[in-house]
Amino acid sequence: MSDVAKEERKKRSTLVLRPSSRTINISVSGIHGVHQSTRDTNSIIGCSSRRSFSLGGGSKVLVKSAFQTPRQVVRVFDEEDNDVTPQSLYQADPAAGQAKASRLFLDEISAGSASDQTAATGSFTMPFSRSILGSRISSQSTIESMNEEIEDTFSKRDLPINFPDVPGKRDTVKEHVTEDMLREVTDVYISETDSISLLDISSTLVSADADDAEATMERNNQYAELCRNRMGNDKYVDRSVQTLNGAAKSKQVQSDSIVMVDSATTVTTWDMYDTLISPERCEEVCSQEVGRADYPEAGEDTSRGAERSVSVGSMASTASAASSLKEVDAFGSSLNVESDLQLIMLSERFQHCLLVMERSILGNTFQPKLAAYRQLPVTEEADSVVEQREEDAESPRSPAVEHLWAFSCELSRGRSVSSMAWNKKNTDLLGVGYGESGSSKQKPGLVCCWSLKNPTWPERAIQCDSAVTSLDFSSNNPSQLAVGMQDGSIAIYNVKSQDSESCVLSSSECPNRHLDPVWQLRWTQQELSLTGEEKVESLISVAADGRISKWFICSSGLDCIDLMKLKKIQSTKKKAGGTKAESVLSALTPGLCFDFHPTDSSVYLVGTLEGLIHKCSCSNNQHFLETYRKHFCPVNRITWSPLSPDVFLSCSSDWTIQLWKQDHHLPMFGFSSTQTAVCDIKWSPKWATVFGAVNEEQLEIWDLNSSILDPIIVQSAAAGVTMESLLFAAQTDCVLVGDSDGHVTVYQLKNLSVGESSQVDILEDILRSAAPKQL
Amino acid sequence: MAEHAGVEETLKRIESQKGVIGTIVVNTEGIPIRTTLDNSTTIQYAKLFRLLSMMARSTVRDIDPQNDLAFLRIRSKKHEIMVALENDFLLIVIQNPCE
Repeated sequence: MSDVAKEERKKRSTLVLRPSSRTINISVSGIHGVHQSTRDTNSIIGCSSRRSFSLGGGSKVLVKSAFQTPRQVVRVFDEEDNDVTPQSLYQADPAAGQAKASRLFLDEISAGSASDQTAATGSFTMPFSRSILGSRISSQSTIESMNEEIEDTFSKRDLPINFPDVPGKRDTVKEHVTEDMLREVTDVYISETDSISLLDISSTLVSADADDAEATMERNNQYAELCRNRMGNDKYVDRSVQTLNGAAKSKQVQSDSIVMVDSATTVTTWDMYDTLISPERCEEVCSQEVGRADYPEAGEDTSRGAERSVSVGSMASTASAASSLKEVDAFGSSLNVESDLQLIMLSERFQHCLLVMERSILGNTFQPKLAAYRQLPVTEEADSVVEQREEDAESPRSPAVEHLWAFSCELSRGRSVSSMAWNKKNTDLLGVGYGESGSSKQKPGLVCCWSLKNPTWPERAIQCDSAVTSLDFSSNNPSQLAVGMQDGSIAIYNVKSQDSESCVLSSSECPNRHLDPVWQLRWTQQELSLTGEEKVESLISVAADGRISKWFICSSGLDCIDLMKLKKIQSTKKKAGGTKAESVLSALTPGLCFDFHPTDSSVYLVGTLEGLIHKCSCSNNQHFLETYRKHFCPVNRITWSPLSPDVFLSCSSDWTIQLWKQDHHLPMFGFSSTQTAVCDIKWSPKWATVFGAVNEEQLEIWDLNSSILDPIIVQSAAAGVTMESLLFAAQTDCVLVGDSDGHVTVYQLKNLSVGESSQVDILEDILRSAAPKQL
Repeated sequence: MAEHAGVEETLKRIESQKGVIGTIVVNTEGIPIRTTLDNSTTIQYAKLFRLLSMMARSTVRDIDPQNDLAFLRIRSKKHEIMVALENDFLLIVIQNPCE
């Protein structure tokens, strides 16, 4: 031990650790919390503090040192009194410490670190660099010089002892690593470093002419000889040196546990398609899958639990199917049931769904009837009674009508059905016009569009200002419905839109409009006279004011021109006065019905209130082409036969039905069955010899092939109602009858034993056989 | 609001049709928002038919992603259950088509 060390030892009350000693007091550096407490840093501090204490008064060491706890120096000795005090590992750079020249205080924990600067030898630890006011002592000089300095400083007094502080705990400002910084490309340049010379002793050149050249040469020679003698010379021995490797120390590190989450998904074709067409939705879908935890459904949990299991494919499709729901809309966020319901109910799709649902339900209910209508075989229930079939097979089949169903609803109850028409394009759509209702609460007129798919509620219900007397669907624009009313006005409605107030045109402003009930309307396609190929559709009406008008659309609505005025025809008998006086007032007789020839659309027949039937032409609006007289009561209906040319039927309130041929003045046949006015008569579209007639009491189906005296089928009206109108259904064997209670009943004709295409010939034969009877 | 009245009317008409046992309207999340059946039955139907509808819709769309399921009908021995599907809701009607 050196003297200095001994001296040091005296001056400090050091804690000496011997192997036997048990008590270990390790003082910790208090202020700055250096964790290198295992190192023997304290000795220095202790030393310094000791020093400061021992300096006594007059010391310029400030009070701060006072709160430094008197530390005890730890020194360890082994059995042989060797100082094996472990050296601290850290060696501060003393050069850095010189920056703090002005420090006077001792509370630099760097002092503690500074004290780590120890000499290589382990015998003592000394502060070997300190700065004195004004003067600096360079550190890292040899230990001997250090010792001298220490000697000096010991003698000198009250030196502010400063320790170079180590740039220890510099607060490093943590720079936030931004994304951009991570992404930016940093270039790393690798280059060869300069050669580091460890030892560079340049050779000295001496001129051969210099004074001490000989000495130099002598020395050179000696050196060369030495090198020569080196090999095999005992003086020089090769020795290997080993560098010591420091002992490795293992250290345990603990980190936060890494949370692992299992994630799975099922990919389906539509999922990929959805993602493709809407890129912004895929993020929402992803977030949906993450945030499924708050799904309020109990049932969902089980399915998702299954998803979390290893087998992804099995039930996971529910979750992914759920994610297919486009929950972007406003519904998903609110859990408010009320608002959900409101929003749903107001949406169009809901209404459409309701429509389809209603039709499906009714399709179930009416399935056998509708199937019979469509002439499909009726599906039978599995447990239906089989015996019934045998019964039917035995009984003879006679023509009959079977009641299928009735179109009726609350709106139409109590009103009489005045007219019916099929839509030209959608043959399942039926337009029905209703007259006055029994109660005065509602508007007088009503038009309902019924669909076969829903016999309980009309698709459209249009209220009209006055009782509807006639209606017809257009062919060119199938959604246009022309309605003629009792006050003489004609309105055209567009039934396509849901809006019930969708009156497109009305004739109410037309100055030429009818002032009396419009008894019949017809959309006809008329050829333009010049071209003869184009068909222009025009609306023709016949009204009680005796005019037949053709309507067209002008800027302010409908306007009409008169095709014909139905003048009263004077009887051929001359007046008693002798002169054939024509009355000045040529009154017009009301026209009740008309019908256009099926092939030649410029010729039409008109039935009048007087019982006369006039044949007219569109090109001649002054004179009738022909007049047919037979009826003496108002002619209610005229209808050309669709299958047999030149044959038409007329029915009238004089209880008779007449069958005419175009070129005969008198009817070929007359039919009468009951003593009530015949309201309506129609030819069957399928069979040329079959027609139907409706009088107030009953529906009659006549088949001229079977009998010309009696109808083959008679169906009585229900009690209390009178049948008013008749319509055949094309493509099917059904007949629709409208009555005064607002019901439109669908009957199916059964067991009509008629042949097929030879009908027309049969009719011709019948007529020919009747011809000789005519004059 | 007239539309709302019309919708309400139609719904009532459906509910009063012949053979209809019950009607359920289910929202996006599977919560029944309008029903004419009792609570437990409603929840059961809503849950089960929601799953089935998803499956059916997934099937249809797998074959052709541009297609979508519109209507689903299941005829069992006792009833017929009809489900109208939309993105926002399900309309379930149970009918007993007595013939």
